[in-house]
Order: sequence, then C-alpha cells, then structure tokens
Amino acid sequence: MKIKILLAFIISSITTLAYAETATPSGAKGSAIIMFLGFVLITLGITFWAARRTKTTSDFYAAGGGITGFQNGLAIAGDYMSAASFLGIAGLVYTSGFDGLIYAIGFLVGWPIVLLLIAEPLRNLGKYTFADVASFRLQQKPIRILAASGSLVTVIFYLIAQLVGAGKLIELLFGLPYTVAVIIVGVLMTLYVTFGGMLATTWVQLTKAILLLSGASLMAFLVMSQFAFSFENMFAAAVSVHAKGDAIMAPGALLTDPISAISLGIALMFGTAGLPHILMRFFTVSDAVQARRSVFYATGFIGYFYILTFIIGFGAIVLLLKDNNYFADGKLIGGSNMAAIHLAHALGGDMLLGFISAVAFATILAVVSGLTLAGSSAISHDLYATLVLKGNSDEKKEIRASRIATVCLGIIAVLLGIVFEKQNVAFMVGLAFCVAASANFPILLLSMYWRKLTTRGAVIGGAAGLLTAVILVFIGPTVWVDAFGFEKAIFPYKYPAIFSVTTAFVGIWIFSLLDNSAGAKAEEAAFDAQFVRSQTGIGASVAKTH
Amino acid sequence: MSQTEKIRQLPEYIELTRARKKIIWPLSTAIIVAYFALILTIAFSPKTLGNPIGDGVTSIGVVMGLGIILLCLVITGIYVYYANHVLEPLTRAIVQKADAIESGESQ
Repeated sequence: MKIKILLAFIISSITTLAYAETATPSGAKGSAIIMFLGFVLITLGITFWAARRTKTTSDFYAAGGGITGFQNGLAIAGDYMSAASFLGIAGLVYTSGFDGLIYAIGFLVGWPIVLLLIAEPLRNLGKYTFADVASFRLQQKPIRILAASGSLVTVIFYLIAQLVGAGKLIELLFGLPYTVAVIIVGVLMTLYVTFGGMLATTWVQLTKAILLLSGASLMAFLVMSQFAFSFENMFAAAVSVHAKGDAIMAPGALLTDPISAISLGIALMFGTAGLPHILMRFFTVSDAVQARRSVFYATGFIGYFYILTFIIGFGAIVLLLKDNNYFADGKLIGGSNMAAIHLAHALGGDMLLGFISAVAFATILAVVSGLTLAGSSAISHDLYATLVLKGNSDEKKEIRASRIATVCLGIIAVLLGIVFEKQNVAFMVGLAFCVAASANFPILLLSMYWRKLTTRGAVIGGAAGLLTAVILVFIGPTVWVDAFGFEKAIFPYKYPAIFSVTTAFVGIWIFSLLDNSAGAKAEEAAFDAQFVRSQTGIGASVAKTH
Repeated sequence: MSQTEKIRQLPEYIELTRARKKIIWPLSTAIIVAYFALILTIAFSPKTLGNPIGDGVTSIGVVMGLGIILLCLVITGIYVYYANHVLEPLTRAIVQKADAIESGESQ
C-alpha cells in the first residue's frame, strides 16, 4: 500500500517535471532547477516512506540490519563519493593535474585496510556505533565519552566541507546568496535524518550512488570518445593547452614539503577506518559475511568512480581552457571546484548540466544526512544513553534525543559552513580524515588486536591524539591564518597527522603498559572472550532480516 | 572450563586464527608499502614521478597512481575470495560446535 503511494508519488512528480521541462524556457538554470526539485521531492518521498517503517532504535540507527551486502556496498560508496570527491578532485585535476590523483588514491587506499582489519570484527562485536566496540571490555563511561567526542569532531569537520561545497554549487546554479544556500541544505538534511533515520539515508544513498555513477560514466565516456579512447592522446592534449605544461603530469603545488606529504598520506590511509558514518554502515548488514561483501563492492565502485573523476578533470582541462564562455576575468566561473559542472555543459549542453548539478547536489545532501546521523547517534546513543539514562535504555527517549541532537548539529554545521566559506572542500575533508586517524582509528585498532590495552591508556592516548590534531589544526595555517587573519601560523604544516597519530599510539601504549590497576588486569583477561567473538561472531546480537 | 576457553581449543578455531593472520597481514603490508612508496617519492623526489613512460607524456606518477587504484581492487578481491572459501567454512564449523557446547552446558 505504502509502496503504491510512493510509486504513484514518484511517477506523478516525474510527469510533472517532464511537463515543466517542456514548458520552461530553455536555459541552464531552468533545467537545473527542475532536476534539483525533482530529486528533492523523490528523496523526501523515500524519507516519508522510511519514517513510517522506523519503529525501533535498530531501525533508526542500523536500518533494522536487513540491508544486503551489495546494497550496502552501494550505500557505502554513496557515503564516500561526496562533493569533495567529485567536485573537489575534478577541480584539483583541472588546476594541477597529478595532484588530484594523490587525493583520489588516498581516499581509496583506506578501504583494503578497513576490509582486512576492521569491518568483520567490528560487525561481530558491535551494535550501532564504534564506541560499542571500543567499550566492549573497557569501562563504558570514559570510553564512550571519548569515542563520541572523536566522532563528533570528525563529523563536524566533514560537514563543514560538504556544506561549503553545497553552498557554492547552489550559489552558482541558482544565483541564491551563499548564506541562503547553506541554510537550505541545512534544513533539508535535518528533515531527512530527523524523520527517516538510517533506513532513509541508506535508500537516499543508494539512489544517489546509482545516479552519480551513471552521470560520471557518461561524462567520462564522452570525454574519452574525443581522444579515440586513448589516455596518451588525452594527456598530450591537456599538456599542450595547460599553462603548467607537462608539470601537470607530476606532483606540484599541493605538497611542497616532505612532512606535509607524509602527513597527508597517513591521514588519508588510516582516516577511512575511523570515519564514524562509514563504520556505522557495517551495522546495517546482517552479519560479517555481508559486511565483507559490502566493502568489496564499495571498493570497486569507489575505485571506478575516482578513475572517472580523473578523466573528467583532464577532460575539463582540454575542453574548458579553449572556450571563453566558462571564464570571467580570466578565471573559471565559480572557481575550480565547478570544473566538473562546466564540463557537463561543454559535453552535453543544458540537459547534462542540469542532470550533473542535480546529482552533485543530491550527493552533498545524502552525504551530510549520513554524517549528521552518525553525529547524532554519537550524542544520543553514546553520550545521552550512557550519561543521562545511565544505561537504563529507553528507546523512545533515545530516539527523541537523537532527533534533538540532529537539529542542533544542523544549526552548528550551517553556522560553521558560513564561517568557513572560503575554504577548499577537498582540503577540509582531509582534515576530517586527519582527526579520524588520530582520535578514532588507534583506539579501534588496538581495542580489537592488542591484549594489553587498558581504559586508562585508551583514554589518555586517545584524548592526546584528538587534542593534538585539533590544536595543531587550530594554530596551523588553515584556522590561524585563513580564518583568523594572523600573518604567520604558529604550526607551519596544514596537516598534523604525522604528529597527532604518533602521539595517540605512543600515549595509548605507554599508559596501558604503566597501568597496573585491578581494572587493567580484568580488561586484559577479558580479551580472549572478545577476540573469540570478533573472529567468529558467536554471541553477537544478530540483526534480524524480517 | 569456560565456553571461550572451549572454543579457543577447537582445532577449527586455531586453524581460523592462523589462516586469517596468514592473509590479512601480508595483504595489509602490501597496500601500505605500495602507497607509502608513492607518498615518499612525492615527499622526497617529486620530479621522478613526472618522467614520461615511453615516448609520450604519460608519466610514471600517473601509471603508479592508477596501478595503486587497481591494486586496491585486487587486494580486496583476493581477500573476499579467500575469506569465502577458507575462513567461512571454518567459522561455520566453529559456530556449530559452539552451539553444541552451549546446549550441552544448559542441560
């Protein structure tokens, strides 16, 4: 019945749109606005449908655990193929060629690590969040507070990046002021999450992942067809028109010193395994087998997608640089982040432009929804349920707290999105990865594999890693110089991962070994039972596939 | 003897942990080494990556980069194949025996 209503809803909105399309005078903004509104309506429909089915906390946080590996792989890929990936990497390739590939590779190499070391044991041990796993044999209260803080800081950095990207896109496409654009995105994401929870964001991610993959495939195909499907021809054409010449085939201005390069490498490789909204996706599948499958599919989709993005970036170099229509005062209109959007117009006119813009917007909306959900579950499930309800779980109260948390997070994200308007989106995502690699990843890895980890070690080392990362970003060039306007940064490097990740691991190691308390001995003794469960899944609460 | 201890002494369990270690650490090392080889070259000798491969403009860096993307797919593929064919049957056997242990205890 509900599905029928939803279908009727979707069909009627598509017909209305098709009609509106012919009725509207042709123009980039007209078709883009129609595509955009269509997607908003469809996803609101999905949310509404999911909201009626969301009854338990398991439904809300983990989509009832009934998502298959393939679906989940697409949803993970959807979470991951964010505005920064698509617009940011295409923009970086457009600006300096090879540098964009460094980010693309970095965003992908974390996945084998997640698959090999994290995904299955996590699914076997946990329930909803990675704090569930970390506090399996350690003390609930301090570990949950720390894990939730790490998750929240990561989510907020990530959210800022996405909102800045969304704001810029809407500003360019619809001529709305940046502030208004950011507020619209904030309201929409809050609506999705508040009413639909994980079930809704999973379906929104699926829809969007398919749209984005098809759109990017089409663009890459059209680009390659101009070069007889030869990479060499494409690179040669790009080198001949780009101002930097053959320098675009080598690392350039992105990483000027060894410390920054290594730091970025560490952050990207180990950050993926600490991203709360990604980790959450392993709880939406029924068991470790599905968790494993979903990472394999996700890696395939994401790798394929980054190769497409790389091609799109080079296509933008060749096709946009020779056409003055995309430039104002010698600069690409809307900045380099809009390279993929302009390329869509160059390749397929207004229709493709409208489609790609709608997909890009949908991408951002879906990613911010997933992020907000991860953030609000850190607050409601880890902080509120543990500290306020003191473990006396009350599903209704917890879901209500989660909805309030979502609204608060939405407001915070919008405000910060306005403050950080000028920041580069791919770079901001890099910072989120840096925090995740420093605060979440060490505790997660060691809690699953290192017998001697104690609560004291995890809390001191984890907090030190988190604080080091946040403080060094704060006194580094991004905040100290760009946001506060000081002349010189106290800490010279943009990425602090090499220092903060080391601090976390060393801190955890030293303070765990120094901990001779009775609690520490009990935690060590509990390792075997935890390890058996993480390896076999015996005793894990099995999500139902009803 | 606790249930944990009983499971730990099952031959299938010993085989499972051994088989898993044998696959996850070499594969993790492979991807970390490949990636940091690229990162360290970017850090200390970025010009090397700009050298063309063959006569055209396609550089060593681009080939290495695309190679690492493919390596990610290959590694995850190998693991999933191995896990489904080797680890999964062992896990199922352990779960069955564990159920037997548990029902034995409750009687």
